[in-house]
Amino acid sequence: MGKIKGGGFLLRRLFSKVFFILTVACIWEAVKAIGGYSDLLLPGVMSILRSLWLERIQIFHMTLFSLQIIGIGLLVAIVLAICATILAFSGRIFSEIITDVLAILHPLPGIAILPIAILWFGIGTKSILFVIIFSAVWPLINHFYTGFRSIPANQLEVGRNLGLSGLKLGRDIMLPASFPHILGGIRTGWARAWQASVAAELVFGAAGGNGGLGWFLYKKRFMMETPGVFAGMLVIVLIGIAVEYIVFTWVEINTVRKWKTIIN
Amino acid sequence: MYKKAQKVVVVLLLGLLATAFMAGCSGKSENSEVKLDEGLETIRVAKQFGLVYAPLMVAEKKDFFSKYGLNVQWKTLGSGGAVREAMAANELDAAFMGIPPFLIGWDKGVEAKIAAGYTVSPVSLVTYDPLIKSVKDFKPEHKIALPSPGSIQHILLAMELEKVMGDPNALDDNLVALPHPDGAQAMLSKKDIVAHFTTPPYLFEELSKPGYHMVLDGFDAFGGDFNFNVALVTQQYHDNNPKGYAAFVMGLNDVMNWVNENKEETAEILAPEFKIEKEKLLEYLESDGMNYTTAPYGIMGFANFMKESGYISKIPEDLQDIAWENVLAQIGKREGKPSTMEKIQWAK
Repeated sequence: MGKIKGGGFLLRRLFSKVFFILTVACIWEAVKAIGGYSDLLLPGVMSILRSLWLERIQIFHMTLFSLQIIGIGLLVAIVLAICATILAFSGRIFSEIITDVLAILHPLPGIAILPIAILWFGIGTKSILFVIIFSAVWPLINHFYTGFRSIPANQLEVGRNLGLSGLKLGRDIMLPASFPHILGGIRTGWARAWQASVAAELVFGAAGGNGGLGWFLYKKRFMMETPGVFAGMLVIVLIGIAVEYIVFTWVEINTVRKWKTIIN
Repeated sequence: MYKKAQKVVVVLLLGLLATAFMAGCSGKSENSEVKLDEGLETIRVAKQFGLVYAPLMVAEKKDFFSKYGLNVQWKTLGSGGAVREAMAANELDAAFMGIPPFLIGWDKGVEAKIAAGYTVSPVSLVTYDPLIKSVKDFKPEHKIALPSPGSIQHILLAMELEKVMGDPNALDDNLVALPHPDGAQAMLSKKDIVAHFTTPPYLFEELSKPGYHMVLDGFDAFGGDFNFNVALVTQQYHDNNPKGYAAFVMGLNDVMNWVNENKEETAEILAPEFKIEKEKLLEYLESDGMNYTTAPYGIMGFANFMKESGYISKIPEDLQDIAWENVLAQIGKREGKPSTMEKIQWAK
């Protein structure tokens, strides 16, 4: 089950994906035709694609901006999460504090702290970055911490019996055992970072020319260009799919699937 | 071995699902329908917060609509964009918005027309930077706050930019979309933004501070008076509820006149609502340029510019395309040269 598949398999998967997309497009058009919806309420697939094509340069720049800010935010959040996890494992007090802080702040949506972010950092990129980091860091800590805590004791003992210790034990036993959680954390963090960046830009727009896809959606919404709104959402979805299937799947195949630490 | 584990996981999750489902069913509560008064026409109207809504708030307090047999269901919505979307989705029968946002909606097929003008109000671009005297003086790092893209403020700025610099989009990269209160707060703390395109009371508040001055007067940019907002009623409501429509328009006229005649009492009624002192509110209500009127002003004036600059794809061929008959009758159709009322619908 955990083997890396051959070319024929990839082709079949690609085919099934294309088939899926075509089916969705057909259902979409059918709903539009049967319901008699105007382009304002439910734009057709073609007008969404046309809008995507017409706005490609703007969308490209805004996508780059979004990816850049999310990348920075996620990286900072991961570093912070690693620090917090190290802290949590270096003393009972820290571990309790971090558990409490997590319980308080994890359920708080990142967008809810936007008013405070604006007060502290002003209107602009810094505030969005703050909201992104805030949104991503809690699920990251949660997953990292759970991951290392849920390493089965018997695996650790087997490792020790084999004479492993210190860094070697960490690399060969602890990391593989907790990696599904770490990967899950990064996946959640990535999703939360996207949500935060789009939501923040939807609330207060962008500062000047610097804006990401949330700002694009905002502008299209206020111009009532519904096809443009869907085009923006489509780009967000496509990036999500691309990252999921290219980055995360690759990491998964080369780590947890190879090590067989998950059951699928 | 893995296959077996998968099966166990599926069964486990199905069990959880069933539990959740049963919990959901037992927790279901009955929805209580709101009973409406028999024999009354009902209209669903969007309301936002701001001084411009003062007449509407008075109407609500003093039952100016119910005396014409109209029951108004107020729906509070956060932004002009949401109001327009609610109209498109037939969640609203009537709303108030600036002419440019209305034209954008009209262009995209929102079926509503102007049922009345709704006030003429100053709207101006303010700055605290002494070096900025005209729109030409803005540098790329200068941020300008206005409520949203496509708002009346945005279009007025674009009109001026076209006149002065030949490019309506010259400052698009300087714009920050901020609701009026947030913009005013940022302006007064001189943080992030250097200019704010806004309306009373924020406009008066900012201009009353030393060093804050006007860069652009909206009336100058437009070349005449224009309705700050217009009252819109959807095609569906207008066609199916003539009595409700008539009552809505009459109620608006009634309250508007009442506010003009009784500004002091208006201030008294609304001071607690706006949480400002009565005297200050009266000052705002009586400030220069405020005109509480339902007459149409400049309702065609934005269309040409918006078409040329690409904000809309078509312009109304005739007033009939964007206004209901009571407004058309007010404007009239003079044989020969256009009348004064007809002329003031266009920008100079």
